[in-house]
Amino acid sequence: MVRPNFPVRLGAAEEALINQLKFAGADQAAERITVAGLPTRRVESYHYTDLKTLLRAVPPMAQPANQVDVPALDLPGSYNLTIVNGVASQQGTAPAGVTVGTVRGGVLTTRDDTLIHINNGLVREAMSLDIAPGVDQIIQIARRIEGVAAHVADALKIFVADGATATIVETFTGSDAAHVGNHATYLALGKDAVVTHVTVDLSGRDTSHFATNEYHLADGAKLRTLIIHAGSDLARTHLYPRMAGQGAHADVTGLNLVSEGQHADITMETNHAVPNTSSQPLFKSITRGRSKAVVQGKLVVARDAQKTDAKFMHQGLMLSDDAEILSKPELEIYADDVVCGHGSTCGKLDEDSLFYLLSRGIPKAEAETMLVRGFIAELVDPIENEALAEALNGIIDTWLLAGK
Amino acid sequence: MTDYGIPTLKEEIDRETVEQVLALDVDKYKYGFESDIESDVAPVGLTEDTVRMISAKKDEPQWMLDWRLEAFRRWQTMEEPNWAKVHYPKIDFQAISYYSAPKSFKGPKSLDEVDPELLATYAKLGIPLKEQAILAGVEGAAESVGTPFGANVAVDAVFDSVSVVTTFREELAKQGIIFCSISEAVREHPELVQQYLGTVVPVTDNYYATLNSAVFTDGSFVYIPKGVRCPMELSTYFRINEKKTGQFERTLIIADDDSYVSYLEGCTAPMRDEHQLHAAVVELVALDNAEIKYSTVQNWYPGDKNGKGGIYNFVTKRGDCRGVNSHISWTQVETGSAITWKYPSCILRGDGSRGEFYSIAISNGYQQVDSGTKMIHLGKNTSSRIISKGIAAGFSDNTYRGQVSAHAKAKNARNFTQCDSLLIGDKCGAHTVPYIESRNGTAVFEHEATTSKISDDQMFYCQARGLSEEEAVALIVNGFVRDVLQHLPMEFMVETQKLISISLEGSVG
Repeated sequence: MVRPNFPVRLGAAEEALINQLKFAGADQAAERITVAGLPTRRVESYHYTDLKTLLRAVPPMAQPANQVDVPALDLPGSYNLTIVNGVASQQGTAPAGVTVGTVRGGVLTTRDDTLIHINNGLVREAMSLDIAPGVDQIIQIARRIEGVAAHVADALKIFVADGATATIVETFTGSDAAHVGNHATYLALGKDAVVTHVTVDLSGRDTSHFATNEYHLADGAKLRTLIIHAGSDLARTHLYPRMAGQGAHADVTGLNLVSEGQHADITMETNHAVPNTSSQPLFKSITRGRSKAVVQGKLVVARDAQKTDAKFMHQGLMLSDDAEILSKPELEIYADDVVCGHGSTCGKLDEDSLFYLLSRGIPKAEAETMLVRGFIAELVDPIENEALAEALNGIIDTWLLAGK
Repeated sequence: MTDYGIPTLKEEIDRETVEQVLALDVDKYKYGFESDIESDVAPVGLTEDTVRMISAKKDEPQWMLDWRLEAFRRWQTMEEPNWAKVHYPKIDFQAISYYSAPKSFKGPKSLDEVDPELLATYAKLGIPLKEQAILAGVEGAAESVGTPFGANVAVDAVFDSVSVVTTFREELAKQGIIFCSISEAVREHPELVQQYLGTVVPVTDNYYATLNSAVFTDGSFVYIPKGVRCPMELSTYFRINEKKTGQFERTLIIADDDSYVSYLEGCTAPMRDEHQLHAAVVELVALDNAEIKYSTVQNWYPGDKNGKGGIYNFVTKRGDCRGVNSHISWTQVETGSAITWKYPSCILRGDGSRGEFYSIAISNGYQQVDSGTKMIHLGKNTSSRIISKGIAAGFSDNTYRGQVSAHAKAKNARNFTQCDSLLIGDKCGAHTVPYIESRNGTAVFEHEATTSKISDDQMFYCQARGLSEEEAVALIVNGFVRDVLQHLPMEFMVETQKLISISLEGSVG
């Protein structure tokens, strides 16, 4: 943690957070913010998302909401759970092999990260899910912030048993108010487990959405994630995949969709801790109007994690001249027998492809949409569940059409 | 020792053993000798008086002193940066002497007046300072041909804190080229210095640049007039000799409209147990259609195999492509220094300007390298290219850190970056930290980085043809860095290939 030599001037947001943390008995987290304040661009992982500037106010902690209708993706046969204003509830009986429960306290591993400290400090009870082999329903967790502007910290801990297969979808929505959501997901994959984890931020524009996802992969586990930012004006998802067992593989993917005035950030730090693991992070950003998309991706390969195969890629597409795409791919490698790489590109739609379509009589708007869909296809296509892929394409289309 | 000052038998044996061991090390770092030259060294410590003393020694005008003092005051309010991936004990800036000059040095003079001991030092380093002899074609005078500083190179030789000699000045002056030490430039061309000094690297740019602004002692000054293509390579050779000193040099190169210059820089230091600080600032200004090619072979003492001693190389190098279609190209071969903290950058201000960065950074032993570049696209149709090859061996850490940014007005900015790392051995680390910031829809950026090790197949292929393991590694590494080598001036290429094999010696196994 960066400790400045001079006292940090605390803003209203920081004062509010300190009080809320103290009230929750999280003195250490409160102390941390008192000393360092919210992270600024001087903190490497917040280099392009300076919370001290971006987060000016933090509303009071959320009160439990009355029964509300929580929107979720239309996925036939999915088993749906909700967390509204931090309160978890279960609808109907869980399918065989799924155990829903609670665990005390926060779920995230303590790290040098302010949002994690806040989440761990404020969460009293987290929802837990245990998934055994043989579950073929999609499990959907819809988190929502209801009512007047509120600060919510909630958490979810998921264990997918050895050899089990699971598709887990999380959505984030809320009423139209200046909420601050600080969401945590801890997902552990047992040996040879195969998991698809999709999260979609569809919160109202005034909401500031923060999510931290931690993944722990045992031997032979396979993970695919897709993080979509398509809602809040300020969205940040921080991913920590840990390849803890030999033969583990992760396809960590994400998509920033930002329009005029929005700021979305996907930051990833993958840790290859043991030999023979692989990961293929792939992120895309599409910007419209004056907006900002951030992707940071760090691959850390430990000293004895020989034979690691990791390729990070970020592609940015600018649909306007005045957007910003900021990218920081990092490699931190201590093992010598590895193949690691990263790539980052950004530019606008390929003029030649556009010309090709136009010359075949396709109207410009439609041609552009086709090309953008093609650009995104790489992320949605690998998702095997058709209904889920269709629902995600629907969200992307809605975003695309909103710009027309 | 006996009472009569005669060494005892035991001491004699110890000394021999020590010398033998030392000789082994010297083999690897062949520039590690120390010249026995009486020096005029300022007392250690840094106060305003030190700054005044340096300025007085240099016989500087008041404006220069004021500039230094302002920098010093700002420096006192600044904090040492700690974001780089390098670790070292805190530097005590009060334990260093900020000025050291050979006693024989009485200001710039002609070659015949230079202390023969100094000339011998440079001869030993392979730096040709005998311009008359070379010009006259005397046999043996160009003994250094084949070293980086071949015969047809004008040299500014900087020894500790002062520039001892600058060769070929008259030759160059005929074309209107100014090539002299910066101290002379301050006195003789104040208008140029005042116009450009600190305009590329502002006084308060960063901690080390500000320190340098306050205490810089010498360095080179180059001015290429309009339309002139500099007929020979210009170069500076930096040598640190005195102990407990820091070297703070400042180089300023101005290429006026339609001119061209190729500039080389080399450096070495004796082997010592203590760390020595070298904090330089280099500023390049390229005006309309001008081209500057700046090549460095950095070979400061890297410390011994246990990580003891070596130079801390904290350098700020920046080029400003101020004019339209100007072009600045940095080529660097980094093999020395215990710690390297260096980011030669280009500010692409002029429309259509171009910036290039070619780098080979090799680290072995306990060296730490954190190097890279910045390409700041401000003008329209600007382009930049970055090729960086990092090679880590032994216990070293080698980081590429680079920034490419296109501002909102930099229409059609274009960048291509490729950084590759090669790991030799399993105790070293290779890291890549690029910042890619596009603030403009018409900008096109591509960045690619890979890390790998020398494949067994490649090694087998070479060894099956009779190469030893070390030779095979050197050959493969030379192939790995070829893209960069191609951009070095001819004389440097040969030397660099040799350096690469020296740096990697003992890294196999």
